[in-house]
Amino acid sequence: MRKPWYFWLYVRSPITKILLGMLAVLISFAALAAQGMFENKRMEAQTDNWHGRSVEKGAEIFSSNCYTCHGVDGKGLPGVAPALHSRYFFTQRMKDVGWAGSLHDYIALTVAAGRPSKSKSQWSQVMPTWSSKYGGPMRDDQVEQVTQFVLNWQEDALTQDWGTPAITSTTGVSGTGGVTGTTVTPMVNLDPFQPFHDGPSKAPTNTITYTVGTLGAAAVGTTAALSATLPQSAEAAAPAGPRPPQELYTAMACSGCHKIDQDQTPDNQGQPGPNQGNLHETAATRVSGEDAETYVYNSIVNPSAFVVPGYPDGIMPKDFKTKMSEEEIRSLVKWILDPNRPK
Amino acid sequence: MAVQPEVKNKTLLETALGLADDTFTRITAGISAGEFRRMLRGEAPGKPNPRLKPHTEAFLLHIKPTYYHESVTRFTHTFRLGLLSTYLFFVETITGLFLMIWYAPSPDRAYTDMTRLLSNVPFGQFMRDLHRLGAEMMIVVVVAHMVRTYLTGSYKPPRQFTWFTGVLLLVMTLFLSFSGYLLPWDQLAFWAVTIGTSMADAVPPQIVGATVNLLARGAPDISANGLLRFYLLHVFFLPLLLILFFFVHYYKVVHFGISLPAQEEEVGQDTASKVPADRRVYYLPDVLLDETMFLIGFTALMIVLTVFFFQAPLESIANPQSTPLHTVAPWYFYWLQGLLKIANKMVAGVILPGVLLGLLAGIPYLDPNPSRRGKDRRVAIISGIIAGVVMIIWSWMGTPYYAVRAAPATEIVQELIPEEGAGLVRELGYARLPNGIYDTTKEMLPEATLADYEKTNPGFVELLHEFKSLTAEFDKEDKDFNEPQSILTISQEQPHLKRIQWTITWKDAKGKDGKFTRSFFIHEDSMYWEQYGLRDFSYLSKPEKAK
Repeated sequence: MRKPWYFWLYVRSPITKILLGMLAVLISFAALAAQGMFENKRMEAQTDNWHGRSVEKGAEIFSSNCYTCHGVDGKGLPGVAPALHSRYFFTQRMKDVGWAGSLHDYIALTVAAGRPSKSKSQWSQVMPTWSSKYGGPMRDDQVEQVTQFVLNWQEDALTQDWGTPAITSTTGVSGTGGVTGTTVTPMVNLDPFQPFHDGPSKAPTNTITYTVGTLGAAAVGTTAALSATLPQSAEAAAPAGPRPPQELYTAMACSGCHKIDQDQTPDNQGQPGPNQGNLHETAATRVSGEDAETYVYNSIVNPSAFVVPGYPDGIMPKDFKTKMSEEEIRSLVKWILDPNRPK
Repeated sequence: MAVQPEVKNKTLLETALGLADDTFTRITAGISAGEFRRMLRGEAPGKPNPRLKPHTEAFLLHIKPTYYHESVTRFTHTFRLGLLSTYLFFVETITGLFLMIWYAPSPDRAYTDMTRLLSNVPFGQFMRDLHRLGAEMMIVVVVAHMVRTYLTGSYKPPRQFTWFTGVLLLVMTLFLSFSGYLLPWDQLAFWAVTIGTSMADAVPPQIVGATVNLLARGAPDISANGLLRFYLLHVFFLPLLLILFFFVHYYKVVHFGISLPAQEEEVGQDTASKVPADRRVYYLPDVLLDETMFLIGFTALMIVLTVFFFQAPLESIANPQSTPLHTVAPWYFYWLQGLLKIANKMVAGVILPGVLLGLLAGIPYLDPNPSRRGKDRRVAIISGIIAGVVMIIWSWMGTPYYAVRAAPATEIVQELIPEEGAGLVRELGYARLPNGIYDTTKEMLPEATLADYEKTNPGFVELLHEFKSLTAEFDKEDKDFNEPQSILTISQEQPHLKRIQWTITWKDAKGKDGKFTRSFFIHEDSMYWEQYGLRDFSYLSKPEKAK
């Protein structure tokens, strides 16, 4: 047979073949040794990697399910649901409820099995059961992901100040030298913890120095050391100018209890607060001598003045006057009462 | 053996050497030390050839031919692809066995078993990557083996049945690879296999299709039962079947001999089994040496690829409630996915593949041409090339670039940060995504920052550029996507966690506003990787974490 033109490429000498084989063995061992040398670091990096990914997934779940009650940044909504992004939550909460396990398990169990709520509880929303084991929508791994996400606040929560508000700049927002459109907003890194009224805190009172607040003064009772108000300075940092009413409605957590897109009917009164879809029709009939606007305004600034029959008193926060400007309250009232408000 | 009389006859040294030689001969199944030395020195065997003994003594050697025709031992005649696919099957068995130690086929455990394997088992990732690489290589090698056989016309009489068993082995290899696909229980696996089994559903008549689908999945949807079935198929049933057909195939190969290069013999003749004495190359030692060294070299290549390049993907855990955008089959089934896009499930998923398989198996009977010479086989070779090109086109049609484009805004975001897998943004990673708001309609970065980033963070500049050009591209292409404004907002969500928010607004053809927002999150520690690229070794330089 004719030799092909690439005949010279063939390795013909047995010695060369053996040498090449030995070289390949050496290369294999070198590569395996290299792998072996960074195996510990690789496993560590992989452990962190899968933890990081579960935090990412947890963030997605939190930002589509949990933020409506626990707040976008986990700092809770007054009267709706407690803060999780809070120093109290990470350091004291477990001691107060007498939880012997880890914080991880405490969070995971609460997410999975929910939390009962008494009708007169300070929290207007019941923590639902999320795990599919108890009839919720989440698989076990998703419960774990949310738990990892909540735990990831720890580092920041521990830097929170118990009492005196301190203004620090936010971590990392810009600083890259005038990136277009970036605003550096100072953040008050104050523990936003809103008291759980289920029992007295065992925390030493001198470390939790909340000023006695206006949130449910009646409920404070035995827990005098443990009542709080959102610091006034938080509003000082808010952008100047009146905020639009739609924004106020969610920012003030009205939407946590009231449904603005549903009418109040005998079959559908609304829980925990009355529905407000048809408030423009019913408001003027509630209190004699008050027209619709006056009634709604009074209900916001002084919720206990008139309580719709069938609803308990003392649930709606009484400090809205301090949290909104006069102008803002007026615009909010107008917006709520607007029959043409887009639903 | 009575040693004493021998020592009396010979000397002690001679007796000891004789015993040593005896032991050596037993270990080598019939090659004495002297013969071994002559082998190493490249000397010709004596007559009768004393090197044939192992072929009758040892099991593994008795299935090998004692000698080959010189012209078929040249590397470029067969490229040793048959040997290589057998070897890859062996590699898969060994690595698969190691993986089985850390794996339980249950939806509750499968995925966490994978992450545990990756993060807690020394060389665990190596084993998994090697197993995956071997599986993909095996498909390439088996297909290449078939292409070589086709091009040299080696399927012609008397080797029709060898070709047929080869086609069966190809199908088994594909099924083996595909059944292993489900086992990690991630989104990639779950949806690829859901699509795959749904094709069985289209088998007519309806009752048969539905039953086959139900049997494969073990329930209307893939769940614990389906996973167990695929596991058993993968580790037990298919390998056994493959081993059986391998021996049938190999027996036929040895029986007829490897077909000679066409110009070695007259047209219509087959002289492979009658090798003239002067053209014989004995298996021991020449072919054995070639094969051993070739496989050692190939193993080295696989190890280097696994350590430095190839990484088996693992997406997020299987979620039957959400189908990720652009779910794709494994690459070796892209052609099938492409077909499914242009025809209905019964035609593209069952009838066409069935016909193709029938054609493939029937090639020896469809091709009446007795000649194996290239210049006599123009029709066969050209139609083979056309078939290959068609396969590549179908495969391209199987990728998301063909016919399944989603809305422009979704597509832009998917391109940069896909729902599953890596993508440009995730590959950049936490540290190289500076917080800020980047608007495509304005100057995305101030000049000073841009100049700085071009030096320190070129990947991010490239990302912004890509974001802008994708937006412009869709603006040009899609008449329902006008005056787009695309904004990328990167903000700190938590310590070590950034929110990547995409806001895209546009006007459609009638001037109506559209808006798309979507948030993703990236953690400082998470690493996303490309399957075939250079590995990310950045963790080696990371400072130790204070615990």
